[in-house]
Amino acid sequence: MTPIKHLDEMTLLLYVERQLDRERAQEVSLHTQTCTRCMTLLRALDRESRLLTRAMLEQDEPFPARLTEFRMAVKRSMQWIWGLVFGLAVLGVYALYAGYIEPWEKQLDQAGFGSTNLLSLLVFQGAFWKGWQSMFTLFEVLALAVLAGSAAFAFRKYIRRGSALAMVFASLGLLLATTPAASATEFRKGDSVSVAKGENIIGDVFLTGNHVRVDGTVDGDVFAFGQQLDVGGHVTGDVFCFAQGTRISGQVDGNIRAFTNNITISGDIGRNVLSFNELMNLDPNGKVGHSLTVFGQTVTLDGKIGRDVVAFFDQSTLSGTIGGSLYGKGKSLTISPSAEIGGKAEFEGAKPATVSNEAKLASPLQFTMHQPHSGHDRSVGYYIWRLIWTAAFVLLGLVIYGLFPRFAVETVEAGEHYGAAFGLGVLVTFGLPIAAIIACVTIVGLLLGLSTLFLYVIVFLCTEIVVGTIVGQWLLGRTSDYWPLVARMALGVLLVRIVTSIPFIGFWAVLAVVLWGMGAISLAVYRRLQPVVAPNIPSVPAGPVGNPLPPNTTVGGM
Amino acid sequence: MSAPGKTEPTDLVVRARTGDAEAWGDLYREFAPAIFRFCRRAMPTHEDAEDATMEVFMKLRDKLSQFDHTRSFTAWLYKVAANHCWDMLRRRKGRQNKETEDVDDIPLEHPDPNQLERLIEERSNDEVRKALGKLGVRARMALVMRYYSDMSYDEIADALGVRRAFVGVVLLRARHELRQVLGENSALAVGGTR
Repeated sequence: MTPIKHLDEMTLLLYVERQLDRERAQEVSLHTQTCTRCMTLLRALDRESRLLTRAMLEQDEPFPARLTEFRMAVKRSMQWIWGLVFGLAVLGVYALYAGYIEPWEKQLDQAGFGSTNLLSLLVFQGAFWKGWQSMFTLFEVLALAVLAGSAAFAFRKYIRRGSALAMVFASLGLLLATTPAASATEFRKGDSVSVAKGENIIGDVFLTGNHVRVDGTVDGDVFAFGQQLDVGGHVTGDVFCFAQGTRISGQVDGNIRAFTNNITISGDIGRNVLSFNELMNLDPNGKVGHSLTVFGQTVTLDGKIGRDVVAFFDQSTLSGTIGGSLYGKGKSLTISPSAEIGGKAEFEGAKPATVSNEAKLASPLQFTMHQPHSGHDRSVGYYIWRLIWTAAFVLLGLVIYGLFPRFAVETVEAGEHYGAAFGLGVLVTFGLPIAAIIACVTIVGLLLGLSTLFLYVIVFLCTEIVVGTIVGQWLLGRTSDYWPLVARMALGVLLVRIVTSIPFIGFWAVLAVVLWGMGAISLAVYRRLQPVVAPNIPSVPAGPVGNPLPPNTTVGGM
Repeated sequence: MSAPGKTEPTDLVVRARTGDAEAWGDLYREFAPAIFRFCRRAMPTHEDAEDATMEVFMKLRDKLSQFDHTRSFTAWLYKVAANHCWDMLRRRKGRQNKETEDVDDIPLEHPDPNQLERLIEERSNDEVRKALGKLGVRARMALVMRYYSDMSYDEIADALGVRRAFVGVVLLRARHELRQVLGENSALAVGGTR
């Protein structure tokens, strides 16, 4: 018996597609009437065509709101802006050069370095604090870059169009070009910079140098970057300082925000003080009108604070007066006989505070024993705490999934795009805190910066939940129902915490979890920013349908 | 080629050609969703599809005066869209990695029809769309042109820049690629696996 020679797939496809000439089509037709296998394949090919057409025609995504109206006019009218971009870019570059680069060059030349290379500056100039002159500009550029990058990311869907992108560039160019001219802000740079006694500056002032002194009056804010800062004059606004040593002996009507190695306040501060430092000393003559928040190693408070004090320290001594309450956390606290606390006093530390009987406290000091946990301490207690924290994370996940069920599912889906999630995770994990800190100290303001940091911490805590859910789905399969999702999350969080508890690899596992989770959440947020369905979109016209089979074919009866 | 069950918008096109903004707006609103979906199937990302849709209509507006009104407007529209999307894809880097293979080396084989039937039955529209997104750009483009916009072999050959005789090969190869992607998780890959 001669084996049947079947038709090849190509021929059958061309037949289905009505691409064969009449004679060949008739041959195929005759063959398929007698060959079951070829007939089945023919039918399958046709069904495949229909499946493709059906899948492609199905409406699975809303019509983007951006496309609801034709915007040819917008595009055309915006074309001129590219010329503006070029002009402003030139202006911006010139402003940068004239305002920053050229003065650097001069200063470096005077210092013996004939280069503007920041690396050589940092390496050869030695002491880190001497680099603030360049760091200041670096901060500005970084701040602009971060803000521009954040804006570009947030409004990506709008700036995809070239014209809108041009607008962003134009705005940045305008910002660069006009900042020095349009603002009343004064910039002073040099080895020794001062606002001399008797001098009166109206507006904000940026001072950068090894030694920065303010002996005159500044009717605005002072932004100081230097090795040593002395404010002996009068500042009506706030003082922002980045310095190795800071001494405030004059009068500041606003707030002080300090990032210093040591700070001594012997003057009069009208409002609040926020300080990150190693040593802080509020002299007996020093006065803070409102509250004091300090993060430091050694904190000595001999002066007067009008309202509350929140302090984190290794060692602290209180001899002065606190009008409000005190919350302290650290290794040791000493309250001297001359101390006065008008409100509640709390201390959390490794050992009870030493409180003089002669100290005047509105209420007895409340002490909470706090044993710092060592990362290498792997006692039973450590594992019990791990378990408690695991339960806490599961509980947090339960609440979050209950409050934001759709967003939770979207976040987990986003996390399954591993490359995008990790990439974005790296960007957000490292970029966002920098942007927030820069926002605190430079451009946008403390409130926005702290809000961003607060949000960052919340997202940070949620990363384990997101990754745990993804891991749980790997093991138990996908779901979007609440309780099954929670079950997967609980299992996943447990496994993730086990992995992150393993010595040596634990740190890397935590890092991976943070990057992954942070990226997933960011990606989900970004997708939420995508355009929504526009109302009153006309129904989509029916698309074309696949060809009917050739005449005389017996395929399928489909 | 025209969309079955849909009358050609002859009047709108004529009015739009004379500069009637309202007619142009109506034309846009009527066809933009379908063109967007075409672009969405052909382009790798949602954003690319949005951009492509807008650019297709910009081109269309510029070229409207060249439109031969004795022919199908829908067919012409899809041709413009296909050419534009293919141009965009072709300009992108990395396209070569999957596209340099010779198109006429398709094996003349006879895959197991029952296995193919099973694969088709088991796959949902959503899975097919996702699989389409994983294909090489030429394969995807060919399938979209043929099975979404019902373009003829001549039009596809013209858009892709291949000889007409190779269009069937391109389509069959695309189907094989698609089956492979669809069958990856179920060991149902059918045909075309060399």
